[in-house]
Parts: sequence; C-alpha cells; structure tokens
Amino acid sequence: MSSVPARVADIARRHPARFAIVGDDRRIRYAEFWDEAQRFANALRARGLRPGERVAILLPNRIEAAVACYGCWLAGGIAAPLNVQGRSRDFQAWLRHSEARHVVYEHSHTDATDAISAVDDAGESAPIERWPLGAEHPLSPPAASDADGPELDAAERIAAEDVALILYTSGTTGAPKGVTLTHGNLLANASAVVRYLGLDERDSVLSILAFYYAYGASVLHTHLISGGCVVLAQNLLFPHLLMDTIARERISGFSGVPSTYALLLERVKLADYDLSSLRYLTQAGGAMSPTLTRRVRAALPDARLFVMYGQTEATSRLTWLPPERLDQKLGSVGIPVDGVELRIAREDGSDAATGEPGEVRVRGANVMRGYWNNPYASAAVLHEGWLRTGDMGHLDADGYLFLAGRRSDMIKTGAHRVHPNDIEDVIVELAGVSEAAVVGIDDDVLGQVIKAFVVAPGLPLRSENMVKAHCRERLASYKIPREIEFVSALPRTASGKVRRAALLEPSTAS
Amino acid sequence: MQQRQRIKQYILKNFLFSNDDSAIGDHDSLVRGGILDSTGIYELIMFIEEEFKFTIAPEEMTPDNFDTLEVMDAFVTRKLAE
Repeated sequence: MSSVPARVADIARRHPARFAIVGDDRRIRYAEFWDEAQRFANALRARGLRPGERVAILLPNRIEAAVACYGCWLAGGIAAPLNVQGRSRDFQAWLRHSEARHVVYEHSHTDATDAISAVDDAGESAPIERWPLGAEHPLSPPAASDADGPELDAAERIAAEDVALILYTSGTTGAPKGVTLTHGNLLANASAVVRYLGLDERDSVLSILAFYYAYGASVLHTHLISGGCVVLAQNLLFPHLLMDTIARERISGFSGVPSTYALLLERVKLADYDLSSLRYLTQAGGAMSPTLTRRVRAALPDARLFVMYGQTEATSRLTWLPPERLDQKLGSVGIPVDGVELRIAREDGSDAATGEPGEVRVRGANVMRGYWNNPYASAAVLHEGWLRTGDMGHLDADGYLFLAGRRSDMIKTGAHRVHPNDIEDVIVELAGVSEAAVVGIDDDVLGQVIKAFVVAPGLPLRSENMVKAHCRERLASYKIPREIEFVSALPRTASGKVRRAALLEPSTAS
Repeated sequence: MQQRQRIKQYILKNFLFSNDDSAIGDHDSLVRGGILDSTGIYELIMFIEEEFKFTIAPEEMTPDNFDTLEVMDAFVTRKLAE
C-alpha cells in the first residue's frame, strides 16, 4: 500500500465499526467515513473532475474537511486545503494560483463566495464547480444507483509519485508558495511519526490544529492510518471545554504549539480534570522554552511529552526528541525521524563541525516536490535533493539538533506563520501611508505578536485604529498588528532594503 | 447606555477598531466571524467583570454565554440578577 488513503481503506475494510472522527455534531465510523469519501469522489467525477485537477477545500476542522480531502484523492484529484481564516483577497490569489476546478466551502462563508465569484467574473477559465456545504447541502449525496457505487480499489491505484496536497504557506504577495506534496511524501512522514509515537487503534487524539496546516494534517493522517480516532475541536477560546472533552472521551493524545500549552497552563486548573487517559503530548510549531517545557511536564507528569520540529516543505516532521532524553537535552528538538538525513551547512555549503552553527538542511522521502508552479522559489530551497530549511542551528556530539532562529523574517504567532510582506502590502494601500515594515515581537503566550512600523505623513495623529481597521477589512484576524508605531523613516541598508532587525532595537523609537 | 450597547461599543473599539454600529449584529457569531480569538475572549471577560462588577467562573466561559451579543447580554442580565 503506497499511500495514506490505501492504508485508511484497509482499516475501513478490516475495522469498519471503529470510530474514525468525532465532530461537533456527529461521530463517524471508518466504514461511514470511507463510504462518504467514495460518494464524494463519485460526485466529483460526475461533475467533471479529471485526474490531477485541484480541489480547493475551504473548511474549518470538521468531518467534511477530511471527507473532502480523501474523496478528492479517490477521484484522482489534488487537494488544496486553504486557510479558512483568510480573506477574499487571499482566496482569490490561491484559487487562481492553484487553478482549482472545484471548491468546497461553507455556504455562509461570504469571503469564499466573493472570491469564487471574483475569479469566475474574470473569465480566465471555465467557471469553478461550487460545493457549498450547509444543512440542506451535504457534501456526499447518496449513491443514485448501483452503477454509481463505490470503486473499492480506487485507493490502491494511487501511486507514491502522484501529487496529493498543495499547502499554501504564504499569502498574496508575488507568487504564492504552494508546498506540493506527493502521496509518497505523506505516507513516509506519517509512518515515521506513527512509529515514534507508538500510535495504534487504541489511540484517540484531540485535534485543535487546522488540517490546512501541515501539523494538523499530520495529526489527522497519522491517527487514521493507525486506526485511531480523531476528536475535533475548533479552537482554544474555551480551554476548559477541551479538558472536559479529554476527560469525557478518554483522549490519549494532544497536540499543540507552544502557545497552546502556555494558554492551557495559564487559564485552566488542570488538576481539576481527570486527564489520566493522556498518554502522549506533542509539541511543534516553534521552540518551546525550557521553562514552559518543565511546567507542562509538572502539570501532566504521566503523559509523555514529544518535542518536535518540522516544516511544511518536509510534509511536517523532521526531528523528534525522545521523551526520556528531555531532561538531558532540554532545549533540543531532537534527532531526525526515520528516513530523514539532516546536516548543518556553513555559508559556503560545507558541513559544519559539531557545535558549530549553520543552516539546517535535510533530505528524505518526506521532502516536497517543490512549490506549485513556482520553479524559482523551488530552486532557491531545493538543491541536489537537499531542502534548505532557512532555520539556523547546531548539532551536539550526540547528534541532537538545537535551533537558533531563522534566516527569514517569518513571524510565528500562536499556531500561525505570517510573512511580513503580506501585511506591509495591505498597510501601504491605506491613503496617507507611504511605507510600512512589520516584525514579530516577543510575547509570553503567543510566542510572537505582530508590530507594524508605519511611515504616514498623510495620517492624523493617533491613527493606530485607522490602520488596524484597514487591516481588519483585508487580512485574517491573526495578521492584524497588535501594535502600531508611527516613525518618520524606516531603517534601510545601503542598497535600500528595510532592515527589519533594526526595528527591534530599542533605539528605533522615534 | 444599555448594557448590550456598552458591550458592543467595547467590541467595536477593541476588536473591530471601528465606530460603525452596523459592523456587528446581535446574532453574529463572534467566534466564527474571527472577531474573538483566544486572547481577545479574556480581554472581553475582564471588561465585563469590571464594567458590571461581578466575577465570571471558568465554567461560565462557554460559547452559549459569549458567542453573540445577544447571548452575552442575556448572560450579564442573569448574573446581575443573582
């Protein structure tokens, strides 16, 4: 079986009555999940989907998001799960760039319908097939006749080299970067994660991580190929409800980014809940401070804490820190997962010595094919099979990786990755603003929050809210700058490039 | 000012950065609309506690009490009557 869907099909055949996914309003067994995916696949084909065409999935974490993804694969399509928190301008850019022929979305999502209409109105291609989801519009219609029934071997026909997913890691600036992952990538990485977490059919995970992010997708697929159960939760707004769910559903696994754990520890008295079913916790999405790591372990001493590191470009996971080494290697993100080679490169590309910092470079069956329709961006990070991660770090004498920042200006706020350009481009669209530069500043809970430095000779004094309101209209809410500072000029290099690092120095304030 | 309007003004000013009263309706989901996030919900709860002089217990922090202006208004009314 050379693909994740083939593995899940096998689980559905052997254990049809086992629960696969628990959503807000229903729980679905493997047989039902597979049946819905196959019916959606049939419906896609009936409406003209051809192999290799893209199906954009614009849904929050709900059962139908997983059904749409697997159904797309069974129909031979490529799934492009889009960040549902984006705005119409984001969706338009991603739909155009992926040339999606079908879009699945909640019928009440006005930004989604606006974006589809805008792309259609431009008349650059045939109208997009719409799959609005609502109470009267289920995703998977019943099979009309036996002739429309499921093709049981559709999953077996999927080849490892077939493209499975496009995950967009940046917004609308220039050519979007759509990480292109094959079925081989997905299965290699999911299998490696299953091995070190020791997942099996007894496991159930509480998933608050969106499927349109690599980490969330990994949580979904690893548990489905293990025959486990994925219990969905939408967000962290009401953290005590999550703890209720863990206790009620006897959840064995929980996955989060550092801010997830910081919020839980700050806002919930974990001792008030029966969390004895928790077997493992996973953490990725940026370095968790040793202090927070110790607090998590102290609060949940019976659960094994897996500190991990990865990248969307590597499907998800690159390294993991065995929990029993956490004390000796505190601050490390661990050793490569099965099938991944990792080296630290100097500026000239040669291997760095033990303890010497350099760029983290990796290769393996999990490394992406490239960025969708973006050969220049692909060539910049892929070279002779090696992926340049842009992350800086060093290896210790035992081969454990310690990270130390990034080369790029990407901001990590909560579970989100934000490229400063996406925000800067929006701010300078505001009349009266001449320039803007965006940086991430440290935050105890979210890791980083967004700060914008704005040159605005044409704006009245104290126009911070005007800038924020302008951003709110055009950007996902997590991209709205928390702080705005007006400055007379931006620091620049001799060649004219904005020196974002200089903006973080205390002397910058004007 | 009516209590619902006081809550609405706080949300408009702090989360929508707007004076436009029509920007949110009484029945609009603040969670699904991306208006409240995991930090915003706590800022809102602190505002309500200070503004209306009562304490909100963790188990009261649910979508049933905070997802829309209407349910928030009803929640505040119930708390004030306790």
